Order: sequence, then C-alpha cells, then structure tokens
Amino acid sequence: MLTRRRFLQASSLISLSPVLPSILANTARAAAASPDAKVLVVIQLDGGNDGINTVVPYADDGYGRARDKLRLEIDKLHKLDDQVGLHPSMRGAKELFDDGRLCVVQGVGYPNPDRSHFRSMRIWQTARFDDERHDSYGWLGGALDEWALQHNSDAAANAIYVGEQETPVALWARRSAATTLLTAEDLKLTLGSRPAASPHDSQGEDSSLGQFVSKQVLSAYAAADEFQRQQSHNQATAGNDYPDTPLGSRLKLVSQLLKSGAQSRVFYTLQSGYDTHSAQLYTHARLLREFSDAIKAFLDDLKTAKLDDRVLVLAFSEFGRRVSENDSQGTDHGTAGPVFLAGKPVKGGLVGNSPDLTNLDGGDLKMQMDFRQVYAAILDDWLGVKSENVLGKSFQKPPVLSA
Amino acid sequence: MGSAQDIWTPYEPTAAAPWNLRRVVHLHRRAAFAAPWAQLQRDLADGPRRAVDRLLQGQGPGDGSAEFELMARTIGDAASASANPGRLKAWWLYRMLITPDPLGERLTLMWHNHFATSNRKVQDLVRMREQNDLLRKHARAPFGELLEAVLKHPAMLAWLDADSNRKGHPNENLARESMELFTLGIGNYSEDDVKEAARALTGWAIVGNRFGFLEARHDSDEKVLLNHRSPLSGDDFIKVLLEHPATARRLAWRICNTFMGEGVVDEQALAQLAAGLSSHRLEVAWAVETVLRSKLFFSAENLGTRVLGPVEYIVGGLRALELCDPPPSTLLLAEWTARMGQDLFYPPNVGGWNEGRAWLASRTIVARANFSAALVEGQLWHQARIPRVEELPARHGQAMNLHQSVSWFASLFWGDESVSAVDEVVEATQSVKSERPLARAVALLMARPEYQLA
Repeated sequence: MLTRRRFLQASSLISLSPVLPSILANTARAAAASPDAKVLVVIQLDGGNDGINTVVPYADDGYGRARDKLRLEIDKLHKLDDQVGLHPSMRGAKELFDDGRLCVVQGVGYPNPDRSHFRSMRIWQTARFDDERHDSYGWLGGALDEWALQHNSDAAANAIYVGEQETPVALWARRSAATTLLTAEDLKLTLGSRPAASPHDSQGEDSSLGQFVSKQVLSAYAAADEFQRQQSHNQATAGNDYPDTPLGSRLKLVSQLLKSGAQSRVFYTLQSGYDTHSAQLYTHARLLREFSDAIKAFLDDLKTAKLDDRVLVLAFSEFGRRVSENDSQGTDHGTAGPVFLAGKPVKGGLVGNSPDLTNLDGGDLKMQMDFRQVYAAILDDWLGVKSENVLGKSFQKPPVLSA
Repeated sequence: MGSAQDIWTPYEPTAAAPWNLRRVVHLHRRAAFAAPWAQLQRDLADGPRRAVDRLLQGQGPGDGSAEFELMARTIGDAASASANPGRLKAWWLYRMLITPDPLGERLTLMWHNHFATSNRKVQDLVRMREQNDLLRKHARAPFGELLEAVLKHPAMLAWLDADSNRKGHPNENLARESMELFTLGIGNYSEDDVKEAARALTGWAIVGNRFGFLEARHDSDEKVLLNHRSPLSGDDFIKVLLEHPATARRLAWRICNTFMGEGVVDEQALAQLAAGLSSHRLEVAWAVETVLRSKLFFSAENLGTRVLGPVEYIVGGLRALELCDPPPSTLLLAEWTARMGQDLFYPPNVGGWNEGRAWLASRTIVARANFSAALVEGQLWHQARIPRVEELPARHGQAMNLHQSVSWFASLFWGDESVSAVDEVVEATQSVKSERPLARAVALLMARPEYQLA
C-alpha cells in the first residue's frame, strides 16, 4: 500500500510540489474529493458526427432534399417529438430518453466555425479561440484547478483518461494531473523495484521539461501501485451486460474504477470513426449503435450499483457534417450538431429547436447554442466550479440539469 | 544566409561546447536511433564532421547494404502478402534495427507521421508497404517529389477519399488535409480555398490499383485558389502548394520538431531554415544536413530536451545494447510500441502523433518500464534467450564492480556518467536480492526520467 509517508518519501526526491494522481487521493489526501462527489464522464465522438442523421429532423422538407442515398426511413426513427427522431440504431438512447435520463441539446456550435478536425477539437477542448491557448490548458483541466483553488486544497482532484491515444488537451492543467489507461492491465508494473525519480541535473537543460518528465514518471508509478492495491482489495466488478465493443469496454472500466472508489471528478474517453466522408450509412449506424448501447449499459449498471446520482455523462463531437451529402455517399465537414447529456441528474428532453435545413449558411447549419453555454451549466451546477473563471466570461445556461 | 548572424552556422568544437561523448550520444539518439559503444568511440575520435557525414551518407559499420536490402525485401514481401498487419510493423522495426542507414529510417518515420495514413481505413498491407517504401525512397529528396509520390499513391487516395471526389459534389478530404497538414499549415488558406482545391483534385482516382486520372470526373472550369485564377488541375494545385512560402515554413517546422529539442528553435531560426529550403528547391537533405551540422544542434540548450518517442525508445535501446543480432521478436516489439502509444501504420488520425510531452502518460510510462524489464529478462525473444547485457562493459574492456558498470551504461545511454541516476540505481538494485543485479540496473536506468529524454 502506498502510504502518504511513502509517497512523500518518494516525492522528496524531486524538487517540485507533489502532484497526486487522482486515485491516490483517498489514502494520501483526505482533503481531496469525497467519495460521494459528483462525477463527469465525457465521451468524445471523434471525427465529426453527422448530427442530421443522429437526431433526424424528419419533418423538415429540406431533409429529403439534402439526403438522398443517406436518407433514413422515417418510420424506423425513434421519434422524440413531431419534429425529430433518433437514428434507428439508437434504441438504447431512446429508452434513456423515455426514462428522463437523456437530454438532447440541438444545434450546438460556436461562432465562425472551423472545419479542421484538429483546430475545432482544440476549440471544444479548451473553450478558447486563440491558437496560443490551444496547446496549454483544457476546460476540464482548468475546472479541476479551479476546484482545488475554491476548496483551498493543494491536491487537485484529478482526471482519468480511458483511451489508447494521448491524453486529450481538455484534461491538461496547471496543477491537476490526468491518469491514462485503456485496460486495468495497463497499470500493472512488472518492473520490481521502482526507479526513483530525480530531476535531470545536467547543465544547460530545460529544467521545466526535466521536471515535467520526473513528475509524469513518478505519478505513473504511484498510480500503478495504488491501482493494484485497489484492485486486489475491492474486487469491484462491473455488470456483465456491457456490449462487447471498444466503447462498451471503456465505460465498463470507468464503472469498475468508480465502484472501486476512485476519487477522480472527471473521466474522459472517446469513440473514433465519425469522419464519414464516404459510404457513411453502414459505418454511422454501427457507430451510433455502439454509442447508444454502451451508454445505456453504463447508466443501467450505475443505477443498479446506486451510483447513478453521482454521474453525469456528456457526449460531443468537434463538428457536425455538411447538410448535403456528397457523391460518395458520405458527408464532408460541417458545423453545429447535437450534444448529449445523460444520466439521472439531467433534465430529460429536447433543448433548442430542430435544425432548420432551409435556412443555411453556405450549406451548413446555423448554430443555435454556443457549446460554452452547455459547459457553463456543467461547471456551475454539476462540478461546482465557477464557470466564469474557467471559460473567461459568463454564459447563459440552458436547462439541462434537473433542479 | 551564411552571414555571421546565421543561426544555422556549423558547429565547431569549443571549450564551452566540446566534442565529447555527450554530444556523440546526442547526435545518434536524435538522428539515428542511438548507437552501440564502438560507433560512439569511433565518432568521438573522428570528430563531428565525419560523424555527421556517415549519418548523411547512410554508411553503416560494414558494407552490408545490398544484403540487408535483399533480406528486408524478402521479409517485407512475405509480410505484405500476409493478412497480418503485425508482420508489416515487424518488418519495419527489423529495418530500423539492422539498417546501415539509420538516419534514412528515422526520416521515414518522420514522414510516416507527416503523411499519417492508417491501415484502419486503407485495409491493404500492400498499399501501406508501398507507401512506406515511397517515404524511404524520397526521404531526403526535394519535397515536391515526395509530396507528389505520396499524394498520387493508392494508400493516400483511399485514406482521404480522393477516389470519390467528383465534379459536382466534391469530397474535400484530400484537398483540406493536403493544405492543413502536408504543406501550408492552418491559417494559410480559407474555406473557399478548400472547396476550390477539392474541385482541382476531381478526377484523381485509383485505376487498376494505381493512380489514374479520369477526365470525365474532372471539373475543368476556372477556380480561384490562393490568389491564382485558372482552370487549375490537381498537378497545378501541387505546384501552387510547393511555391507557397508557408510550405517551406511547415517543412522547416517538421524537421526541427524531429531533430531539435523543446523550445530551442525560435521563429527567427525557423524562418531562416525555411528561407534556405526555398532557395534549395525544398530539398530535405539540405535542411537535415544544415540542422545536424549546426552549432544550435550541438548547443547545450539542445541537449536532453526532446522526449523520445516509443519507436526511438525501443529501437534505440536495442541498438545501444547490441541486441540486434539476432534481434528480438519484432512482432513482439511492434506490440510494445503500440502499448507505448505508437502503433506503426495505425497513427491515431491524419494529424499523426503529437509527439513531445504527449508521449508520456501513465499507461505509456508503465509500458516503458515493463518493456525494459521484459528486455533484460529475455521475454522479447520467441525462444527464451537471456540477453547478456551485463557482459557488455567487459566486452568493451570497461567492467569492474556494480557501480562502475552502471556508470558505464550511463555513459552509453547519456554520454555522461556523472548523472545522479547512477547512485540511485545502484542503491535501488542493491536493495532487492537479484541473481542478475547489473541486468536489473540496466532496466532501472531505462525506466528513469532522464532516459525518456534525448
């Protein structure tokens, strides 16, 4: 077991204030997030999700005009009202909607939309528009830093990223650290004794890089130790009803972590493949089924475990796609699209109007809501962090959470 | 260029920046996946000019390049004919481990990231392998040759949907990424330029498994692109991109990002290198030589300021430790690079890997430590084979007690045995009972924070 004393012993080898990996908080710092703290789980739909074929504006004449080969059969949609319906493969999401556990925010985007995957994703992840800010801190990293500040705690509650790619910039922070893993095995350290971490001491080197590396290495080993301890003590298992898909496995791991008492406030994962420039119909149906089934299984599992009061899920994509399909049975990069909030804490239903396919801006949807409005609601009313301090200004908040 | 203020002026050893083992190791870890002791000593004796010459010319220790190419081709043919992507990854790692031209393989890896193409979508190992060979063949060439070869190859055409970009309803994928990622960089073109470029690229197709141009699909009307007004074709589009100053700048950035440390190259240095590239037909060989010979490259601020990527970590470790003959199972090595976050032929997206600090996350750091343990314990060979790394110092006439041997390995890895790592690793090694304490110390050295930097 990694005691506070041992951790401090280890960290005394490096000349910087110790940054605790999230899952250490329980043993090392009582001041960190309490076990019943509210948790945000973010699912990034990577590549630009075709919002029009996700929350389909079936009553709009423009739909049939814009979509020919990609037109979905209206009677197979899961209708949410007399304007829009969910894609036929989103049965699980529809059940959540009927149960008041899904909130669909329509037409979410930002001014002067950028159609580069990378820049647009950075904008969503940092909630900033100047490129210089795009390599520094993310909105969730900033939220966790702010939380530590507001709670006068020197141990920031941390984030866990479940994924195989690098840690998303959304989680980068000044003080809090993100732990990343893809499977529970990933944090099993087979190297016996620990390589102590000390600052790079050769002359002329960039000390901040050396310190960063030392911090990362020390955090990783400490996280590995603590994770193994929790796994062997708690034997927490997730429900067995998860679909056997990449996103299903990732959410199952998040559930295991939550059940084993992980102290992180933010979990982040992604589902890739939404960049459907060609032959979209089948791919998109498969992706949405994976998304919808995984999120349903996850929320049902948490409900059984009586953890559902604590968990809010946010799903977003960097942009929607062009209203008109292209000639390769796909769609090119577009602008605004739907954002999903799910879980017991949400105010279920539709927010905003269905997209108007007859009133476009250069072939693209006009946005109805700035994504930062959704973030503001999550920050203020869920994570308990002053949104203005994280986003740089205040935004009008949509009614997405139940009072 | 060439003036006294020239940032890229060649390095000459001085008292403040001597040609020592530290700088020899620096050169090889940055540009050539590290090097074994004998090569380090040879280059230390020969001086910087000859050391860099050898890298640029791709001369290995022996003159086995013909045999190597023959062997590599045989393995590559078998790999691409199989349905197993792991074998293609293994083939490339085999090349990197054994090649007489390590800089060539390093550049190939750089281009794989620049033109990041994933088999996830291409789903064709022959095409992926052909693209990889193109990256290698044109690795040092004028950039235009590389750009045209890669854009007009079926792997890229399939990856970015060129085949379905037709007159009337263009598919913008290839047009956009060509400008944003392969040449100009973001901010140097407008959304209208993307649409116009997509029109220029209509008609590009895969015909009989090769690039083909289908006149009937091509939009031959006038386009307005980056201030050019003409019935632009795809070839004209490439020409416009190559002549644009932003392309030289992005190329300079890519090369510096590969060979230079964090925060070492400022805007002015980048601009000078870009200007030089423009006046050298964007010749990559010129820029790489300029960088590797430069005073800035060997300056103290550039030492140990770049995070090693997973492939560099693995290939470099094996090369330095003389474990390439016979090499470990390259299939297993490929799995380890993926665990560390760099799955060859499967970059995360068209933007490639971000590199730098982004390489170091919990799971990838744990993977690095576990790799070093698996390496010294012999788990990387199909038939259990304990690599006698502890015999290495003796083989080079250097061995004595544990502390001295660990110091020797620190010299091999960092060119500097004074780092505090040595004492701490010796202590950590002695605190646990082990049959092979020195082997264990080597694993601990490789798991150190210092080892992650080059």
